[in-house]
Amino acid sequence: MATETLATGAPRTARRVGWGQRLSRWDIKVSPYLYISPFFIVFAVFGAFPLFFNVVVALHDWHRRSGMGDFVGLDNFAWVLRQPLFWRSLENTFSIFLWGGIPQLILALVIASILDQNLRARTFWRMSVLIPFVVMPVATSMIFGQVYGQFGLLVPNLHDLGLLTQYSSPFFQDRQLSHIAIGSMVIFRWTGYNALIFLAAMQAVPRDLYEAATVDGAGRVRQFFSVTIPGIRPTLIFIILTMTIGGLEIFDEARMFDGGGTGGGTGGADNQWTTVVLYLYNLGFGDWQDRLGQAAAVGWIFAAIILTLSLVNIVLTRTIASSDSGTKRMPKFLRAASKARAQAAPSADVNESSEGNAR
Amino acid sequence: MRRTKKFAGIAVFAAVTALTLTACTGGGGSAGGGGEKATEDNKPEQLTVAAWMDFPPELLASFEEEYGIKIAVESFPDGASAQTVLRNGLSSGGAGLSDVHLIELDWWTEMMAAPDDWVELPEIPDRWVDWKVKQGSVDDVITGYGTDIGPLGIAFNQDMTSAAGVAADPELFGEFIGGDAATWESFLDAGREYVATSDNYFIDSLSSAFQAAINLLPAAFEDPESGDPYNLADNAEVKELFMTFADAADDGVSAGIPIGHADWGAGFQNQQWATVVTPAWMTGIIAENAAGIEGWRVSSTFPDGGGNWGGSFFSVPATGDNTGWAVKLADYLTSPEAAVQWFHTTGQFPSQVEAIENADISETENEFYGGLRLGQVYGDLAAAAGDSAAGGFRGENFAGIQSLVTDGISLVESGGATPEEAWESVVGDFEALGFDTAD
Repeated sequence: MATETLATGAPRTARRVGWGQRLSRWDIKVSPYLYISPFFIVFAVFGAFPLFFNVVVALHDWHRRSGMGDFVGLDNFAWVLRQPLFWRSLENTFSIFLWGGIPQLILALVIASILDQNLRARTFWRMSVLIPFVVMPVATSMIFGQVYGQFGLLVPNLHDLGLLTQYSSPFFQDRQLSHIAIGSMVIFRWTGYNALIFLAAMQAVPRDLYEAATVDGAGRVRQFFSVTIPGIRPTLIFIILTMTIGGLEIFDEARMFDGGGTGGGTGGADNQWTTVVLYLYNLGFGDWQDRLGQAAAVGWIFAAIILTLSLVNIVLTRTIASSDSGTKRMPKFLRAASKARAQAAPSADVNESSEGNAR
Repeated sequence: MRRTKKFAGIAVFAAVTALTLTACTGGGGSAGGGGEKATEDNKPEQLTVAAWMDFPPELLASFEEEYGIKIAVESFPDGASAQTVLRNGLSSGGAGLSDVHLIELDWWTEMMAAPDDWVELPEIPDRWVDWKVKQGSVDDVITGYGTDIGPLGIAFNQDMTSAAGVAADPELFGEFIGGDAATWESFLDAGREYVATSDNYFIDSLSSAFQAAINLLPAAFEDPESGDPYNLADNAEVKELFMTFADAADDGVSAGIPIGHADWGAGFQNQQWATVVTPAWMTGIIAENAAGIEGWRVSSTFPDGGGNWGGSFFSVPATGDNTGWAVKLADYLTSPEAAVQWFHTTGQFPSQVEAIENADISETENEFYGGLRLGQVYGDLAAAAGDSAAGGFRGENFAGIQSLVTDGISLVESGGATPEEAWESVVGDFEALGFDTAD
């Protein structure tokens, strides 16, 4: 958008002469920035300013009603790191992330590769997988909360089957089970969305690679791992990255899991499913703690953790996805070797570039 | 060129920062105190009231008729959401607040942390029971007009207790839980007896019962003089109560589903428990959730002589534009006549002396509770509880420590810990918070 306005704006103003010369020169120089400024102003007010302001909050004793108190340096950070509940919530967050993330990724890939086939009523199927995404997270959470509740869809039936001995719902009591339950909401909501992004990437994979693979006798599964996965590598990295950031920030689902009414919404009696963001919220805005400084510190500590983890993820994904793919990220000696091989046998190059290269 | 760019960037950033900073500071610095007078000149067209219970429609209509001011009720699904809005409004200079706010006793202390936030309300002699006025005052300045009180009773299902062979009517039930000398011990023992002969639970959750017992302690968690919390590990009184209830929870007396839990409503429909600790305002909520289930009654016997849970106040934020008329409205909404109308709408029990004595309240028969005269039952319960219903000292951290300790009971109820383990965990959580404790 910005470049378009720049392109059309420039020639028009360049023709002007006379008293407006200075004005038009300003126009050329300043207008593009004005055109793109709304985004940056909004971002500065609602994004950048709170971000930097949060540093100030984290370094002070800060309460809701009385506002800024004394400067305490890094005390808030030290306080947070001493809280067993912070570490517990961190464990919960990662556990929920794994329960929700890994199945979601696998499911999304499988669904996308099915949608990538020649199906009848393609658009219908493609739009259908997006329907769960339309439902608000809070609504999803409340519905799932009912499903897992004592009188919901699951528990009474499990009880009738003899798999449960107690009447009350274990999903609100057992730590692992509550994580699985919340993970299932994440899967429900995000799988379709990710599947569509994967689908878009898969359609960009050149069809002749599949033909070549078929000619070489590769089955569907082999094609999926050797052609599709390497072909959508950048998308895979993108999804895993956004999933890491989004998944670790999980809040709505955990807060509304038990209905969130009076006395609820804090992550369970034993904080079985208190996530880091929920812990932050309870600290700063919850019913009684009123520790905004410490809550801000939690935010920064967690941001650092997510950043580290995202970097680790990028590195990991690159190595995994590139093991079968093109020449870009191959170690130098391998690249040289394959070059030599390609020169030696020029006729085999189709096969080489599609799958055989890295080995 | 480069310099212009840099300059523009700095200018934009400075402008934005300045804007945001002014937005933050604007609207602060409101003075509390007496507020303005209600005159014809400053009469608004409309006043807003934030609350979470149904209003008697005739009450709103009659105010509009008398003063020509429309009342818009900002309705919240529950107290917790009203609390959040109020909390955020107070910490941002009154943004988004209504002219009159309903405040529940449980979070009264939090909202009154800065008394200047609230308009001082003129005294209305002899309207309320004394302890209600005291609760609604900060440093002898009235900042809230009482609406209802929450005298505690025990709702029970006599069909269930009779099927279990323990009690067939309210009188027998009273004796079953200990009669006039009932204590929490005798109540919980009755619960153990009930679950032995029955296939559902005795009570929905012990957390509300535990809170009622905590409430009767003169200074449960904090030192009234300094306001600092007592060291929980050394708090023998609380520990003893905790163990009493945790042992009962360990014995499977309760379902572990308190009011507010997603499964609470369904629990009534599935007949999961036979009793509920029921303050007067909860009778309507139970009637709604247990609709179609026969046999619910309210016993006029309560352990340890009775108690009080909740009850609310109407208060006027000092930042409002129409504080004069808002005070008038708060006055109007808490008149004894209004209290009677409210009793009929939601079942909440009045804190107004004249309304308590009103025959219209004591003689009304409640259909859901088998024609029981709820007004009379709760009137008796309130009288039996007397001034002790006002509860003990509640400092700034009362609600927080209470929820920590109550979570410990829930932990035992869910089978997640033995009573000893739960107490250890509560003490651990308390210590991690790092209070300066009073000794």
